[in-house]
Amino acid sequence: MNRLKQFFLRRDLYHDLDDEIAFHLEERERELVAGGMPASEAHAAAYREFGNVGLLKESAREAWGWRWLEDLSADLRFGARMLRKAPGFTIAAIITLALGIGANTAVFSMANALVFRPLPVKDAGRLMVVAARPSQYDPPFPLSYAAFLDFQRANNVFVEMTGYALNLDGLGSQEHADRVVACYTPGNFFTMLGLRPALGRLFVPGEGDARRSAPFIVLGYSYWQRRFASDQKVVGQTVNLDGQAVTVIGVVEKAFKGPYAMIDVDVYAPVGMYGGATGSTSFLTARENSDFRVLATLKPGLTTEQAESALNVVARQLGQQYPQTDQGRIMRVIPEGLARPEPAVSDSSKLVTTVFLLMVALVLLVACINVANLLLARATARAKEMAVRAAVGAGRLRLIRQSLTESILLAVAGGAVGAVIGNWACRALEQLRPIGDFPIRIGFTFDWRVFSYVTAIVLAAGVLAGLVPALRMRRTNLVETLREGGRTVIGDSGHHWLRNFLVIGQLAGSLIVLVAAGLFVRSLAGAESVDLGFERRNVLNVGMNPAQQGYDQPRAEAFFRVLLRKVRALPGVQSASLAFSVPISYYNDGGVVYAEGQELTAKGRAPGAGFNSVSPGYFETLGIPILQGRAFNDTDTAGTNPVAVINEEMAKRLWPGQDPMGRRFSSISASGPFVTVVGVARNAKYNVISEESRMYFYLPLTQNYKQIHMLQLRTSLPPETLIPTIEAQVREIDPNLPMFDVMGMEKSLQGGNGFLLYKMAAALAGILGALGLVLAVVGVYGVVSYTASLRKHEIGVRMALGAHPRKIFGLVLRQAVILISAGVGFGLAATLGVTRFLSSLLVGVSSYDPATLVGVPALLSVVALVACYLPARRATRVDPMVALRYE
Amino acid sequence: MKDAEPRNLFPGALEMMILRTLKRQPLHGYALAQHIKKTSNGLLQIEEGSLYPALQRLLRAELVKAEWGISPTNRRVRTYKLTVAGAKHLEREVSSFERMLEGITRVLARGES
Repeated sequence: MNRLKQFFLRRDLYHDLDDEIAFHLEERERELVAGGMPASEAHAAAYREFGNVGLLKESAREAWGWRWLEDLSADLRFGARMLRKAPGFTIAAIITLALGIGANTAVFSMANALVFRPLPVKDAGRLMVVAARPSQYDPPFPLSYAAFLDFQRANNVFVEMTGYALNLDGLGSQEHADRVVACYTPGNFFTMLGLRPALGRLFVPGEGDARRSAPFIVLGYSYWQRRFASDQKVVGQTVNLDGQAVTVIGVVEKAFKGPYAMIDVDVYAPVGMYGGATGSTSFLTARENSDFRVLATLKPGLTTEQAESALNVVARQLGQQYPQTDQGRIMRVIPEGLARPEPAVSDSSKLVTTVFLLMVALVLLVACINVANLLLARATARAKEMAVRAAVGAGRLRLIRQSLTESILLAVAGGAVGAVIGNWACRALEQLRPIGDFPIRIGFTFDWRVFSYVTAIVLAAGVLAGLVPALRMRRTNLVETLREGGRTVIGDSGHHWLRNFLVIGQLAGSLIVLVAAGLFVRSLAGAESVDLGFERRNVLNVGMNPAQQGYDQPRAEAFFRVLLRKVRALPGVQSASLAFSVPISYYNDGGVVYAEGQELTAKGRAPGAGFNSVSPGYFETLGIPILQGRAFNDTDTAGTNPVAVINEEMAKRLWPGQDPMGRRFSSISASGPFVTVVGVARNAKYNVISEESRMYFYLPLTQNYKQIHMLQLRTSLPPETLIPTIEAQVREIDPNLPMFDVMGMEKSLQGGNGFLLYKMAAALAGILGALGLVLAVVGVYGVVSYTASLRKHEIGVRMALGAHPRKIFGLVLRQAVILISAGVGFGLAATLGVTRFLSSLLVGVSSYDPATLVGVPALLSVVALVACYLPARRATRVDPMVALRYE
Repeated sequence: MKDAEPRNLFPGALEMMILRTLKRQPLHGYALAQHIKKTSNGLLQIEEGSLYPALQRLLRAELVKAEWGISPTNRRVRTYKLTVAGAKHLEREVSSFERMLEGITRVLARGES
């Protein structure tokens, strides 16, 4: 008979045992009587000789080893029955726990998607991002492809190194072009990551590393489904990638969405194909480039620090060899999960994850304390029941176990509801994604990591909430409780002390969460009020890439000449211009600059600067004042003297104390070719909101042609209202030219480099803060009204003796005031200790922001006091007669 | 230590005695208890009831098997029988017990000389 069958047949086994023992006793008694013992004595004697029947039965049953299981199921059944008997209490506790657990589920799911979940590749645990900090003051950035090759040659700490560069390209097939996210990789990319093709084949090591040696591409799975309708015959087809004819050789496996977090890669191409039809080889050789994202598998047993010091040796050699570009670099080896999406965030992503997980853990703690308080109140009501159980022999451990079973049962129910809430919250948060026509993927999916985390916090919550009341049970005085006849004891001061202590902890915990929330909200306000250096209102962006329709430079220029003339004539349009990139969007140009005639000192590296290619009218459209000299005009053409407008910072840094007008600089090499400075523009924000003043310059689009054109309009009407008109104008000239990122500048600023992160942080922290506030206030309310109800008798006596209701009101409120001030006081002290860790995440607000540190505690105190007003009022309405009759 | 105090059995002793008794003939619980009590001359102080947990353990380990029958007094009774595994187990236990006893005896004898 197998164990499982035995377990279900155990009732029969037990029944047999009972029969057998009964037979034994009867037989013995019969024998004793036969031996001459009086029947009355024989019965007792038989039992005496046998021993403790109940105990022996119990121990015989134990032989089968089910005791714990039976106890558990008894505890569970009893617990469920008790919870069903008090539905109000049960629902309140489950909702409270569900909110806490739900918030934890949501935050952990996000952290999981953003940081913890590894890429579906080989040896993901040892997959590192290799990046370089240009100096000790800079965050880490990707490398140049040339530097990658140097590190790869000298490599002795990684099993293998590969990498990729992302680019937005046009992919033309079957008379139709669209914009794709292209990932340019060395040949070893797929083999190192252990990826398999879903169709055809993938690149092999070495394939396509040399310039244009392999005109092949591999498609991303979802792009293959979307664009080619999962057509098996796609392999072998020739398509057009940025003007180059390439052959599709395969489709990568479905699970791999690409190496860059949150972006689905559409097309993989050999790194030798980078640069497209322009024929430029600069990507493969230019050392000032920093677009190559290096991935490497750390050798087993090595630490990232060891790898970093090995790389730094190589970096120093490169610095000597190429002082202008590579000097002073500090290498970083970052676990891939922490370098998402950019290595530059690696230091803050750990911090952000920790901060939010801690905040949400505090919220759960506050929720658990609420439930613990509810359980305590119930434990008082059930004191008699427990005392009876103890009296009939239930061990202390057994009672504690019963109490814990009940609280864990509550937590499991709360966890189930919470997981649903959490999942729902994740769906809602996914909607807060970056805008733009970028294929952003945020997968807050429920995987085993989330599941284990939720299970762990459910158990923790159950134990935490149940432990306090369970431990209280130890101190129950059996005799006292039984004699009291179940009436609550007024002088149970230890109990009150515990309750008050819990509420103070709750208030303190929620204050910390609230202050953090306040700081994040203030930080969003701070970010939004940052002076961007351009006028964000009433600007409309319309992106186009005429290369997607096969336009070469002259055709594209002709196209935009016509388009600009037409849109400038539209009512509501004040000015119109073209640019390559939009400030604070997701792509931009950058490099290093060399001022003419300035020898770089031995240690000096050429300084970095960002730049944009723009048409005449740009500064007017964006509202960027020209402080000196002139803006571009129609006389700046491909044939005329190359010119540039630089920003104040660049003028100050390259030519300190001198007039920059007429000076020349180069972004190619120290020996030129040079461009002449014709104007100085006001500083602005270019790449991210939080950046410091940085060097930036503008080149005429005619002299530095780019395929991507961003048409920008300054409007006198709300910009979005002009969208249909503008789109119609574009289609009138070319009905097939796709447009992207068509939106007002204010909307464009909500992107990933704009306000998105501040907004997400503020929204998430705000929700957590509100949750913490509500739970803490409910806690204070509960305890104050519970205490007031316990003091009903005392209050009745006071009133009978003539106490004024106001006095009674004050009596109850005094407890509330003491609790609230203690909680807020402790919370504030703790807050002052921890907020400084937030300072690097805040913009435009100090971590000791006085408005937050005064306003938030005041808010919490007022809300909590208002909540206590109700029980205080109720106390003044105690009818002395009713209260006294209670006696 | 007072001499008069009854000595507790060492773990496994009761099981060994049960198996040994059942080796001679199958018995029901009550008869088994009486037999052990009688043959030990009352030297071993056991509660009769403690037989039953031991029997349950032996049943679970499949060292004995039980068959239900009807007693002369017309009651359902369970008769226990040694299994093959039980007989082997008994042999092993007895020989290991004898070795242990031999060891103890020697130590005690040395102590005297």
